[in-house]
Amino acid sequence: MSTLTKKPGYFLWFAILGACLLAAFGAAGYTFWVGHEQAFNVNRGVPWGILISTYVFLAISCSGLCMISSLGHVFGFKEFETISRRAILLAILCLIGAFGAIGMELEHPFRMYYTILSPNLSSGIWWMGTVYGLYLAVLVLEFYALMTDNHKLSKITGRIGLLLAIAAPSILGAVFGLILARPFWHGSFLPVYTIITALVSGTALILLVMYFQHAVRGIEMDEKDCRVIRLLGRILRLVLFVLIFSVFWNIIVGLYGQQPGIYEPVMALINGSLSANFWVGEILIGLVIPLALLIRKDRTPFSTMMASMLALIGMFFMRYDMTIGGQLYPLRYQTEGLANGLFTYSPSVSEVVLVVGCIAFSALVFTLVEKFLSLDLKSEHHP
Amino acid sequence: MKKQRFAIVLDTRRCIDCKACTVACKVENDVPVGGETYRNWVTEEPVRGTYPNLGQSFTPSQCNQCENPPCNSVCPTSATGITSGGIVTVNPDKCIGCKYCMLACPYDARFYDSEKGIIDKCTFCIQRTLVGGIPACVETCPTKVRTFGDLNDPNSEVSILLAKNKHRVLKPELGTKPFLFYLI
Repeated sequence: MSTLTKKPGYFLWFAILGACLLAAFGAAGYTFWVGHEQAFNVNRGVPWGILISTYVFLAISCSGLCMISSLGHVFGFKEFETISRRAILLAILCLIGAFGAIGMELEHPFRMYYTILSPNLSSGIWWMGTVYGLYLAVLVLEFYALMTDNHKLSKITGRIGLLLAIAAPSILGAVFGLILARPFWHGSFLPVYTIITALVSGTALILLVMYFQHAVRGIEMDEKDCRVIRLLGRILRLVLFVLIFSVFWNIIVGLYGQQPGIYEPVMALINGSLSANFWVGEILIGLVIPLALLIRKDRTPFSTMMASMLALIGMFFMRYDMTIGGQLYPLRYQTEGLANGLFTYSPSVSEVVLVVGCIAFSALVFTLVEKFLSLDLKSEHHP
Repeated sequence: MKKQRFAIVLDTRRCIDCKACTVACKVENDVPVGGETYRNWVTEEPVRGTYPNLGQSFTPSQCNQCENPPCNSVCPTSATGITSGGIVTVNPDKCIGCKYCMLACPYDARFYDSEKGIIDKCTFCIQRTLVGGIPACVETCPTKVRTFGDLNDPNSEVSILLAKNKHRVLKPELGTKPFLFYLI
């Protein structure tokens, strides 16, 4: 702990995150003051903006963290037990950050109690909110069990948590997939795709945490840590390969036959308003470079960490493009407010600052907990 | 007596694109001024033909008061509901502003009302129709494009119009069962 406080970078880290959080509070205040209409760039054509895609990014990352960490304390692969505490803590914080993002997008978040007073069981959002709410409670219990070395409780909560970790992103995918009016989203692809992408985000995040918890504290990685990083790198490589096919077929299906409502958003991705996001963010940063780094036999923990960071950035773009892409095609013939026959959207400063704030919150609290609680297992206690 | 089932029948060949329906609706229902806030609208279809043989159609539209409304299925707090006469409404006290209904409606009938802070939509002027009146858009139209009435009454004007004329609904393939009928 003392090694941490002596590092100058440590204060910079807190200063940056603190500034991001303060700016986000400012943006939140501004939004409530002037109203969503003024503060955000969402509109009638594109009602869901970057805050929703950030919610998707963080919530699905949370599930992925659980899935990967369950390899240790649910499936009994001992190597992975070292990551459990940090993974579950980060999962909790990602989920709280996700709730923060969606809470800012909602006009009346405090009326959420109507989901209990007058629930609508046919609503995808109702199921998503309920399952993620339950999931948060299970995660908190699981973290408590892991911190107190209560193996019985951690195994039970780990199993329930794993089930919810698979169900939750799938339901989140269904929130989009059930919308018949939006052909780009509609279908059974998204509920499955979100599970695959959860594994990508989760593995990448755990790798980042594994790497930085050593690097920041100046602790040498032992053979066991290197082995876990290598194994996680292999898992990430596998899920990225699977993801390539998901992305590939999603694009091909959209182009094939030029079905209205699917074709246009796909064209926006490959040659339109989202093309920079798609080719640079999703394909180059998110898939090609990480795979090129992970495919190498001589990969180091550093190159694996770099691959993870890039894959994670790629996932953020993927969530954004999926969320925005599905709304670009107008529902009826109109000419006003369109560019090349499609709606346009780019986030406002307030939206971006709020997004940064939500991510900064997760990172800041994680670092604080890391500082004040021991997240190492007894067997790997570092002086 | 059978329950009422309200519908609007539109004869778009009569529309002159004056947009009086939109103005009347805004005034009657306190809809904010603005390019994106409207409960009904007139679509100006593309011009057909080449000069001097030209033609253009105008298609007024609004909420289709579907029998199977996707906006009702997706609302997490049951703020959206179907009231008497088959009218789809939003309970402003329960609306959390998640905008899921805006994405689910295939007709672009819903919008965010920043003054009320909720999602708003056409209610066939429920404050009028439930006491025997007709919607403002129907009343104000100078060429009588819209006809409002009860489809469960076989002698109503809308029932007779639909019996005597070929008609279509918008996006029937989505299974929403709309109650806005366009004469062909």
